[in-house]
Amino acid sequence: MNSSSTLYKKKGPLVVFLVPAFLFLVLYLYYPFVQNIINSFSNITGLGAPAQGLNDPWWANYQALFTDPKLRTALGNTVILTICTVVFQVGIALILALLVDSIRVGAQLFRTLYFFPIVISATALGLMFNLIFLYNGGMLNQLLSNLGLIGKNIDWKDTDHFMVTMFTPVMWQYVGFYFVILVTGLNNIPTDLYEAAALDGCVGLSKVRYITLPLLRNVLCTCLVLAVTGALKVFDLPWVMFGAGMPQDKGWLTGTYMYDQTFNRGNVDYGSAIAMLIVVLGVVLSNVANRVFKPRNDL
Amino acid sequence: MKKNRLFALLLAAIMLLTLLAGCGGKPGGSDPAKDPGPGASTAPQDTPKPAAPVELNVVTSYGGDDGNRKNYENAVKDYEDATGNKILDASGTSNEEWKAKVLTDFETGTEPDVLFFFTNADAEPIIKAGKVVDVATIRAEYPNYADNMRDSMLAVASDGKNYAIPSSGFWENMFVNTKVLSDCGVAVPGPDYTWDQFLADCQTIKDKGYTPIACSLFEVPHYWFEFCVMNNGTLANQLDVPASADDAAGKKWAAGLNDMKDLYEKGFFPANTLTATDAETVQLFGDGEAAFLIDGSWKVNYFVDNHGDTLEDYAISYVPAKGERKASEAIGGISMGYFITKKAWDDPAKREAAVQFVEHMTSDEVMSTFVTTEVTALKNGAAPSGLNPLQQSAADANAAITGVVGAVQDTITPEAKADLFANVQNVVTGAMTAEEAVASAIAVN
Amino acid sequence: MGRKITPAKVCTYVALSVWALTTLYPFVWVILNSFREKGLIRKDSFSIPLPGSGFTMDNYAKAMDRFDFANAYLNSLIVSVSVTVVVVILAGLAAYGLVRYRFRLRGVCYSLIMAGMMFPVFSTIIPVFRMEAAWGIASSGNRWLSLLAVILPQIAGNLCFATIVLMGFIESVPIELEESAYVDGCHVFQVYFHIIMPAAKSSFATVAIFSFLWSYNDLFTQNFFLRVPREKTITLLLNEISSQAGVDYGLMAASVVLIVIPVLAVYVMLQKHIIKGLTAGAIKG
Repeated sequence: MNSSSTLYKKKGPLVVFLVPAFLFLVLYLYYPFVQNIINSFSNITGLGAPAQGLNDPWWANYQALFTDPKLRTALGNTVILTICTVVFQVGIALILALLVDSIRVGAQLFRTLYFFPIVISATALGLMFNLIFLYNGGMLNQLLSNLGLIGKNIDWKDTDHFMVTMFTPVMWQYVGFYFVILVTGLNNIPTDLYEAAALDGCVGLSKVRYITLPLLRNVLCTCLVLAVTGALKVFDLPWVMFGAGMPQDKGWLTGTYMYDQTFNRGNVDYGSAIAMLIVVLGVVLSNVANRVFKPRNDL
Repeated sequence: MKKNRLFALLLAAIMLLTLLAGCGGKPGGSDPAKDPGPGASTAPQDTPKPAAPVELNVVTSYGGDDGNRKNYENAVKDYEDATGNKILDASGTSNEEWKAKVLTDFETGTEPDVLFFFTNADAEPIIKAGKVVDVATIRAEYPNYADNMRDSMLAVASDGKNYAIPSSGFWENMFVNTKVLSDCGVAVPGPDYTWDQFLADCQTIKDKGYTPIACSLFEVPHYWFEFCVMNNGTLANQLDVPASADDAAGKKWAAGLNDMKDLYEKGFFPANTLTATDAETVQLFGDGEAAFLIDGSWKVNYFVDNHGDTLEDYAISYVPAKGERKASEAIGGISMGYFITKKAWDDPAKREAAVQFVEHMTSDEVMSTFVTTEVTALKNGAAPSGLNPLQQSAADANAAITGVVGAVQDTITPEAKADLFANVQNVVTGAMTAEEAVASAIAVN
Repeated sequence: MGRKITPAKVCTYVALSVWALTTLYPFVWVILNSFREKGLIRKDSFSIPLPGSGFTMDNYAKAMDRFDFANAYLNSLIVSVSVTVVVVILAGLAAYGLVRYRFRLRGVCYSLIMAGMMFPVFSTIIPVFRMEAAWGIASSGNRWLSLLAVILPQIAGNLCFATIVLMGFIESVPIELEESAYVDGCHVFQVYFHIIMPAAKSSFATVAIFSFLWSYNDLFTQNFFLRVPREKTITLLLNEISSQAGVDYGLMAASVVLIVIPVLAVYVMLQKHIIKGLTAGAIKG
């Protein structure tokens, strides 16, 4: 439909639209990332240290990607996280957005409340969740032992419980983010469409099914792309709560593993290779998401 | 490596003397013989004010939660008041990220004028790049520069020169919770404490329902590692770094790791030692739920700040000994010092100010505010103005110390260190053997 | 519709309230504990601190006492407002161009932006720092240059996200509006400023909120570029306070409250733009 418009036949103004943004991106993202690509083939012994020639063989880091058991753990955990993100974050956010959209009284209040978790910085949230999951006198253990459900404190960060302990806060925090985006998308749907539909007797769930969801498709697709790419990059909350691979190297995520290799291990070149992996996976997955959910779009 | 070792031994010998001389004194009362004589130091107050005020960029590790942050800030303020110069302080908290940031600054030419940094292998890149000025060069122009320091205790770089003026040092030793011990009927360990006795005591403490050892093997296994390695070797060969997992030093490291595994399997560490933070386990100790804690001199102020009303429940004791090591032998040394950068030195406006600043920060008076029980390189020793019960306990313990050596973890690369300590959790749970962990660390050293 | 109370409505409100409770309670918890006496949080963090039983203003006094708050808020506002304004302008233009125009490199551009969103800041920060140091912006000792040194990479960092989100929204704007405006003799830029921007006003507000929020809370970049006290932003300042606090959780909680207030203010301010009806009005016009 877009290409039929005569308005956009002349390509001249495109320069003004795209060049300023891409200038920023080239200087501050692509150029540094090209450095990152070069780094991933080089031998670098410390952060801020210059490369000491190429690796031997130059693809050594990429070979290591395939044999590194910790990275495999990280990828496995990240895949689970991605699935949870798509299902729970976007799912809950969509339900909440539709519900808020259907009410009049208090909608504003709920919109503000749901936003709270993203406002508080990850460091503060991490501290809070650490106090909740604390082994000795944490909120959960206090509560459970007061109810007589447990005789001994549960170590919420051990190998049996860490997934729930790590993922719940991440899920919870970003539901508000997708909620705000979806609510905005809902507001962009013209009310007269609903009015017309109501005249045709289309209300309630069928209204959602036949009008809201199709019109929300673009925004929903954006959310999915953001969720998939976001999951690959998740870093701050798990890092504050779990640190390096806790428990026993089973808790790695691609984001935390990359940070640890770069900043704590001084393994800058390998960290760069992991960054490459994150980017490639992100682009591939988001394209897949786009293909699947946006069949009419020719991107 | 060899030079490092010789130096460390020398350092250890002198430190021992200093410890015996410096910490044997009564609390608060400073020996008149050690009081700095008139003119003994070149305090900046004596030097004339420079014509125009200078802005000096300074980076130190006295930011964040450092126990000496307040002392540092006061000293900086004194310097500013005395000279009219302005200090642009960009201090941070000492960790790997901070180190990386400092080194990156040197790489990009945005280094500070004065830097307080590690004097070990960490400083080699900036020394090799000629970015800092050596002490001899400074003394050629300012003969009194750091003349209150024992030159023999200045860190020697790989090129054989001195660059940094040392600040206060550190010690690592065993903190005990005397209340827990007396409740369990265990005596406070003395300088002849043995490993077997320690194991028996731990069992007693554990049976009583307490946690014997407060330690997060996830975050800070290095305290126990240092002492367990020394327990399987000697003070003299503590700083030997393995070339492979099966040479003498490698076997010593593996044996040390296996001793830690033994403690873990016996259940002497906290139940969540693999997932707890250092803060959590230290709090166990502070709250009287754990008996033993190996930590450093910097932890004393933590207890003063957070457990001030129960300070007499804690004491500094000795780490149990095995084999040839004596319990009275501990880890300690001076690991950081002030550098003047080439950039400041070559700037005629800043040269004098930078020299003055370092002299001020390392003067006997200022150092005495930083030091309580740590070693210094001061000729006259430091004169702390009074000790609290815990510091007194540390001073008493130090008085019986018969040997001090630097930490072997400071002689290996940050990568090797990170790898080794991250694998401690895998060794104690049996996911990896001690030999494999040593080999893995050595491979990246 | 009307005012009838239906079971469906009750369920809706219950569901919404339950989730609201989970998002509100932690914040209340932080506020409560910011007024609690030192050392009580781990023992008793869930009661209401009352005067006489653990209530104190000390945490705020301590936080306010040591640092120059006014200056830090000013630095934060300069950085985050600049980032937000530039991001919204540039991302809006780029998103519009990418959505409405068909050109050969369009797919490539889209993939590049997608990839840009994936770049971990940890892997780009050091080259950026070197580049800015070479230009003389970073670590120059000049406050304004240092702030600029943070603003520029933050703009780039938020640009990709903002473009992607705005593309999603602009795609939903009915193209018929633009065509009729064009028939009326409007230039393409007039179309953008008079049709697209008002139609997607709430989307721009949303993107602005997130740009502001991320710029404001981005400890890592700020920490890398802003070192000297007079350059420090509120986030850095409070990070410093809380790292000095050790296990003084009360002081940390107070820091969190002080840090959150401006962001909430910005959200409430911009939120009134995320209201219904704007698009419908535009179509009728």
